[in-house]
Amino acid sequence: MTGGARTEAAPAGAAAGQGRPRRALLLAAVMAAVTLAAWLLSAGLQRDPTAIRSPLLGRPAPDFALGTLEGDRTVRLGDLRGQVVVVNFWASWCAECRIEHPALSAAWDRFRDAGVVLVGVDFQDDHPSALAYLAGAGVGWPVVADPGSRTALAYGVYGIPETFVIGPDGRVTAKHVGPVTYDQLEREITRVLPGEPGRQPGAPAVGSR
Amino acid sequence: MSMADHAAASRPARAWARPAVGLAVLLLVALGALAAVAARGPAPASTPAERVHAIATGLRCPVCRDLSVADSPAPLAQQMRNQIAEGLAAGKSPEAIRREFVAAYGESVLLVPARRGVGLVAWLAPALLLAGGALAAVLAVRRWRARGAAPAVSSPSAAGASRADKVLLERALARFEEDPQ
Repeated sequence: MTGGARTEAAPAGAAAGQGRPRRALLLAAVMAAVTLAAWLLSAGLQRDPTAIRSPLLGRPAPDFALGTLEGDRTVRLGDLRGQVVVVNFWASWCAECRIEHPALSAAWDRFRDAGVVLVGVDFQDDHPSALAYLAGAGVGWPVVADPGSRTALAYGVYGIPETFVIGPDGRVTAKHVGPVTYDQLEREITRVLPGEPGRQPGAPAVGSR
Repeated sequence: MSMADHAAASRPARAWARPAVGLAVLLLVALGALAAVAARGPAPASTPAERVHAIATGLRCPVCRDLSVADSPAPLAQQMRNQIAEGLAAGKSPEAIRREFVAAYGESVLLVPARRGVGLVAWLAPALLLAGGALAAVLAVRRWRARGAAPAVSSPSAAGASRADKVLLERALARFEEDPQ
């Protein structure tokens, strides 16, 4: 009986010794999983869901040939190759577009003779309202209508105002969401404008909100 | 663990084994049916409107929050539906139409993740979790079985009994031998 007890005790002791590290391992795995889930959640919550990097950056800008609001001519992006093109999506109903209007005007005045073209694309607007806005605000640059929002969809517009800078090679070099400031426009334009004292054209940059 | 515990554990272990097999078979049949339905997918869209709807339900409306292009009343969503319809009429494949929107908006425009890159995680994770869970369940059942079968294999002596249990047992036996009432 006692001999039997001694031999039986050995496997029981071994099982108990084995059980403890295994339980510790399981606990560590559960803790690691919980930590990972918490980290992912916190990382996800801290991210701005509206800040989505445009896939167009560094890519050839989608071409467009759109008639101006006045209907006097057609602006074709392909014809503007070799120049820096600033494409600004706006609308007469858009309050933030009014905020950024002075910045666009200042940039137009400063760069219009330096090989920079500013093109306004009217987004989901009422034609008479848009024309009234142009007359009232004093818009010197071409503003085109975008029937069916084709160009806006091709540029991945989420909400206006949105401003794209296209380099002389026809590639999108910057995208700005929200009202743009003159300093931001100047920085992004001089970055890609040939012969301008600015940063060298290089990696595309994302505009901040 | 005492002998009584082992006996109690072994009997229910065998008792629930048969219903568990039945349950497993039932689960397998249900999963098989689900897989068959999932493999077939929704009924193929036949009319042009249905084909547009099928693509639009998989695209996020860019100007909304968590609405598909099919469900959104926003003008931009309407224009996206028009563009899908025109693309289909021009003979483009649904995949080509989706790629155009992804080129403009990025992968985030897709409500159904792509079956490649990071999107693959969303497709594989449920299957991997299910497989992991099944493996864990099988291992657990095996361990319970082994634990239940252990006293049957070992001698009917004080298997796994603690020293205190044995002392108590021996004392009780001694008392019983002295005075078998």
